[in-house]
Amino acid sequence: MDESAAPILEVASVTKRFGKFTAVNDVSFKIRDGEFFTLVGPSGSGKTTLLRILVGMEKPTTGELRLRGEIINDLPPNRRPTCMVFQSLALFPHMTVGKNVEFPLTIRGASESDRRTRAWELLKLLHLDPNRYYDKNVSQCSGGERQRVALARALAYDPEILFFDEPLSALDARLRKMLQKELKDIQRSTKKTFCYVTHSLEEAMVMSDRVAILRAGVIEQIGMPDEIYASPKNAFVAEFMGEVNLLDITALGGASATWDTGRKTVPLALPELPVPLEAGAKRKLLIRPESLRFLAAGEHAGNTVPVKILNEFSLGSRIQYHVEVCPGCTLTVERLREERTAAAAGVLGWELADSQVLES
Amino acid sequence: MSVRTPKKTREFGPGFFGALASSPFGLLMLFGFVAPLLCVVWFGFMPPKTFELLQVPTLQNYEVIFNQTYFKSILWSLGLAAVTVAILLVICYPLAFALAKIFKGGASFVTYAIATSLFVSENIRLFGWVIGFMKNGVVGGTLAKLLGVQVDSLLYNVPVIILGMVYVYLPFMLFPLTLGVKMVPDQVREAAFDLGANRWQVFKKIDLPLSMPGVLIGSLLVFVLSVGAISEAKILGGQKVVTIASDIESEFTYAQNWPLGSALSTLFIALTAIVVFFALGRFDLEKLLGKKSNE
Repeated sequence: MDESAAPILEVASVTKRFGKFTAVNDVSFKIRDGEFFTLVGPSGSGKTTLLRILVGMEKPTTGELRLRGEIINDLPPNRRPTCMVFQSLALFPHMTVGKNVEFPLTIRGASESDRRTRAWELLKLLHLDPNRYYDKNVSQCSGGERQRVALARALAYDPEILFFDEPLSALDARLRKMLQKELKDIQRSTKKTFCYVTHSLEEAMVMSDRVAILRAGVIEQIGMPDEIYASPKNAFVAEFMGEVNLLDITALGGASATWDTGRKTVPLALPELPVPLEAGAKRKLLIRPESLRFLAAGEHAGNTVPVKILNEFSLGSRIQYHVEVCPGCTLTVERLREERTAAAAGVLGWELADSQVLES
Repeated sequence: MSVRTPKKTREFGPGFFGALASSPFGLLMLFGFVAPLLCVVWFGFMPPKTFELLQVPTLQNYEVIFNQTYFKSILWSLGLAAVTVAILLVICYPLAFALAKIFKGGASFVTYAIATSLFVSENIRLFGWVIGFMKNGVVGGTLAKLLGVQVDSLLYNVPVIILGMVYVYLPFMLFPLTLGVKMVPDQVREAAFDLGANRWQVFKKIDLPLSMPGVLIGSLLVFVLSVGAISEAKILGGQKVVTIASDIESEFTYAQNWPLGSALSTLFIALTAIVVFFALGRFDLEKLLGKKSNE
């Protein structure tokens, strides 16, 4: 994605309150022309409300939405050049697949032959054989087929931005993965701007050019998936990224700290920081499961800690271990199957550079 | 023995118990609906002004009907019913929409309020209207007292009959319609709006077709009830308009001509059935509900 690409949609200090509850709190970001942008957050993070504001189904309490520089706050959804694929898909149950796809064209008054040609094209683009599907009733389509019909219908509207309210969440994992890739392909081939909302960071990582992570109505971090993965801004983002170890630490000044495991404190060495922590500062130490390794006798690492192995889970080529430092305090370790013998010794270690100090 | 046992259980399968469970209702329908209906149809072929069922059938009664002006009462009945249905559709759709989608907690209050009106006998309610609309009644008297306007009786005309019918049959339209409107998913309506449709297009292309089962059931209920209505025309219309139902009633009572009354009933039942089946055929319920393909 070109860093300097012009923003197509600018969200400026948007806040939405329902009574005393603030669902979206002073959110600002820009969606660039032609990118795949994903809003991701746990349930209750305000992502659906934000999406409804972006498509025009809710009005922001304060703040502005600018589409190519023009304020569109008061434009109703039917007059915005954007549209949305609903979580429920919201297909028209009384119409055939063809009529569903043609709907936006019918509304615009396109001729019957134009509508049919376009619907035919779009069904082909989405791998639905028009000969079979054009006259089929939507109620006879499978989950995956319905997804494609919903997407074809939205593309028929020819929107400047296409919004998605986690439409894939109801599908089984295999179909979901397949459709994620297809969605990305379609976004590339149509060069449309896609804005996707999901609670699954994994889904966001697979498809997106840029990701914004939402918590309690506030954007915690925004950036390319790799950026966020490599340097999460805080413990919430890190935890949201997947299974990680977050250790509660208290700085002792300099590069040393203590890890409060609940039962006892363990002295640790910290990675190099641009600004050293003040003594007594409380932080989280992020260590990914794959950065932890079992040490053989005589091996050294930046930090070492004796552990007891509680459980082993096979992940195919790798094995995931749940290990106990002391009762009630466990860590997750992921190692290659070949390194299994080292686990028996029960000494865990990690290099200082593989750990990150984060705000909680 | 071991071979026989499963056979026995098959004899008392779900079908058997289903038939057993529905037999009381079946018997009731047989003796309470089918048998009298057949009697009426048969009686229509008996010679006029007789009270015997075992006579040689004749078409005399139908000749009388076609040679006299009974068609006028039939047209009045069909016309009044059609107008009532049309007016109720227009009045009830917005209210049904509000009950289904907007009122939330208030909806049950409105529902109870409207359902409560059904607790009072229709005739009593109609006589209430008479007191309201008669000369120097509640409406006329109030206007005369407050504004000094002298109003003659507002009764005994066609609009007041229609007003009465609309009022009496409103619940029968409103409740099916509310269920129909409830069947339209909010997101489907929003999606149509989002895809560029304006309010009118959303109504025409989404709301109306998807709530059609409710529209149809409400219309049929009101039509069938109001086509056989008798009290509104009698009480509010004061015999200004004679409906077919009151023609039939007088044949069975004053005129003591049961065969003619039966023939009229038969003819009228057939006519209503044709109208209803025509309507049902035009709008296929299954198709509207999306259970059948549009092939």
